[in-house]
Amino acid sequence: MTIADKGRADTVVDFDVALIERARKGDSRAFERLYRDHVGRVHGLCLRMTRDPDLAADCAQDAFIKAWKALPRFEARSSFSTWLHRIAVNTVLEKRRGPSNAEIAVEDPTEYAEPVLSFDTPVEEEELEAAIQSLPQGARDALVLCGVYGYEHSEAASMLGIAVGTCKAQLHRARGLLRDRLERGVR
Amino acid sequence: MTHQSTGRRVNRIDELAQSLPPARDLWPGIATAIEADRKAAVVDNAPRRTRWLPAAGMAAAVALVTVGIFIGRSFSPPPIVAGTNTTQGSPEMMPAALRDANYRKQRDVLLAEVDERLAAMPPADREKVASSLRTLKRSISDIEAALGRDPANALLQELLVNSCQEEMRALTAVRDSGSQET
Repeated sequence: MTIADKGRADTVVDFDVALIERARKGDSRAFERLYRDHVGRVHGLCLRMTRDPDLAADCAQDAFIKAWKALPRFEARSSFSTWLHRIAVNTVLEKRRGPSNAEIAVEDPTEYAEPVLSFDTPVEEEELEAAIQSLPQGARDALVLCGVYGYEHSEAASMLGIAVGTCKAQLHRARGLLRDRLERGVR
Repeated sequence: MTHQSTGRRVNRIDELAQSLPPARDLWPGIATAIEADRKAAVVDNAPRRTRWLPAAGMAAAVALVTVGIFIGRSFSPPPIVAGTNTTQGSPEMMPAALRDANYRKQRDVLLAEVDERLAAMPPADREKVASSLRTLKRSISDIEAALGRDPANALLQELLVNSCQEEMRALTAVRDSGSQET
């Protein structure tokens, strides 16, 4: 990160702090700004965890509503982005536990669709995303939080409500499965 | 593709875009929920508190006066002469504080304001508050009647003063409940 980048990042954080303070006092316009700034990452996390665009949108929306209600309890010393992600992960986990989404909780790898990989596509990202989507739920959660969003094992484990060791094992499993599926997909 | 290049691709997952905006704007739904939350908070807190505050105050006042009457009657001597012309409500029998013109004036103004406030209340609430006020007035009348039979009873005199103070507090609470709700 260059000095200019760092300066920009600090400004963004400071701006967030100001918006959070205003939102805590009931300013919904300030909260809308926070929403606009963070919705992409929150939705991306939900989408990768749920693999369902409609459900991911619902989860992201619910997460922001919960965040608004919980703002008075937000402690400014922690990252707003991490706090939001924690709420989003909780929301996804709650939806999974819900009766109407019982099928999402299926952990049998045989029930997952094979990734649609193509030799011709120049877009490696699409192949990677498809391979991630094909992973079993537990492995996918760990990979998304640690691999894509860069959380430490302890943070991801805390968000998912699992032990740190389990998180490490799931991430290791995810990487192995991902490698295997990418290789199979290109043979 | 080699095993090595596949491994390299797996290691590049941290380069995937973290931000994937939703296909539709989620803000309208969030804004609606926020507005509903605000309205619910207003309904949950302020009106309920202001609605029951005067009623609770009056209930406490009525209880105090009732207990006071019981104590006053228990300690007061029996009527000296049966059939004596009652002086109930006559100014001479009232403690000096209650004969004060300023008190009378303030009470009349307060009663008029409370009548206006009662008229603006929902019927169910109005009936509850009016019923409590009637009980309070009846209790004061009972004390005045007892004082008429035993004008020198200091305990009854003190009880009358306290009851009238409670009545003023209850009337003030009813009057102010209107301004708290707005």
